[in-house]
Amino acid sequence: MERVDVTGEVCPRPALIVRDRLGDLDPGEQLLVRGDYPPAEENLRRTCRKHGFEVSGESDGGEDFELTITVTDEAASE
Amino acid sequence: MTGDMEESENPPLTEFAELHGCSCKVGQGDLEALLREAGLDRADDDLLFGVGEDAFARRLREDLALVGTVDFFTPIADDPYDFGRVAACNAASDAFATGATENLTCMVVLALPRAITDCAPAIIAGMADVLEDVEGTVAGGHTTMNPWPIAGGAVTATGDPGQFMTTAGAQPGDRLYLTKPLGTQPAMGAHRVRNGEFGDSVRDVTDRGIGDIAADALDWMTTPNRDAARVARAYATAATDVTGFGLCGEARVLGSRSGVGVEITRLPVIDGTPALSRLFGYGLEDGESAETSGGLLIAVSPEHTATLEDEFAERGVFVREVGRVTDGTGVRLREPEIDPVRL
Repeated sequence: MERVDVTGEVCPRPALIVRDRLGDLDPGEQLLVRGDYPPAEENLRRTCRKHGFEVSGESDGGEDFELTITVTDEAASE
Repeated sequence: MTGDMEESENPPLTEFAELHGCSCKVGQGDLEALLREAGLDRADDDLLFGVGEDAFARRLREDLALVGTVDFFTPIADDPYDFGRVAACNAASDAFATGATENLTCMVVLALPRAITDCAPAIIAGMADVLEDVEGTVAGGHTTMNPWPIAGGAVTATGDPGQFMTTAGAQPGDRLYLTKPLGTQPAMGAHRVRNGEFGDSVRDVTDRGIGDIAADALDWMTTPNRDAARVARAYATAATDVTGFGLCGEARVLGSRSGVGVEITRLPVIDGTPALSRLFGYGLEDGESAETSGGLLIAVSPEHTATLEDEFAERGVFVREVGRVTDGTGVRLREPEIDPVRL
């Protein structure tokens, strides 16, 4: 699985970094995103949902989060 | 004024903080929990209103009350003078949201990293100029060192308590109005990354120039809510200003404190910002994007809406109907019409 770490990145950069990495992937492939800032997680979940990607994963109850984003046919066709 | 958003020789202030403008505000749920834990979630009989509202009000005479508030945040603009203007406008807005617009006085709250203390005069000058525009004054302040730059102020104003507005009082059937378009967060976010590796990404999603979008956002963030408040206070059943919680967050506060539900049917937005918001995941089209120095959200009985709209038009103040107050609880978006606004 591809991985990207957006720890320490300031909004809106996490969403832009993740978008760039997802652009290199094919339907069915996954990207694991690590970060440390809850609003960035919320923004990533929202932008992925809006663009048809599947998102799973949870935060650890603190600041850190880990999301698995799956490229769907719908997202790839955008 | 640097409203054309040209590059300045000053260091880019936004690079000194990880959160920008009203998005540095503590979350709604966390704030409510904090107030409960601190025992500050009850009304104070000595005040007309206080905790939970945009400002406190203490009656001085039958027809006169003192209103006070404090608001400060991290840089939303890179230029110190612009940052000062937005900070003063935002701090004064909490007083204006109550309808108190007279005798406006601001004690500056300023904190800067050691490396950029020479920005202080420009920040304070920006604050003073905005306050002068609303017949207010800077009366002093407090300045410290801090890793993140912070500017704002403790603002006092006076008004007639008979015309004060709070978040409680909205009635089912009232119409909801907003006095500035939304979208400051995506506009300024795009402006921050416009010259870096993601410059093309942000330019590609909108046919409007990022500089124009950000210039509009800066103009709105430095537009005081005083004139809007002076019209609204004669008619509003409830009001608040839209800041870090976004439109829906502030509507949720108004609905909860008034014991009503809210339905949003229109979202006036700075033209070009919805596409940027989708790119960043900011939730503008869901009414969730944080606003900095946003407009007033006003609830008005249907019998007064025509007069209110006429008076806003006469004064040349922006206003849009954005929804209505309902029975029940919570905020619902009813396929809101996206209404792009250009200056």
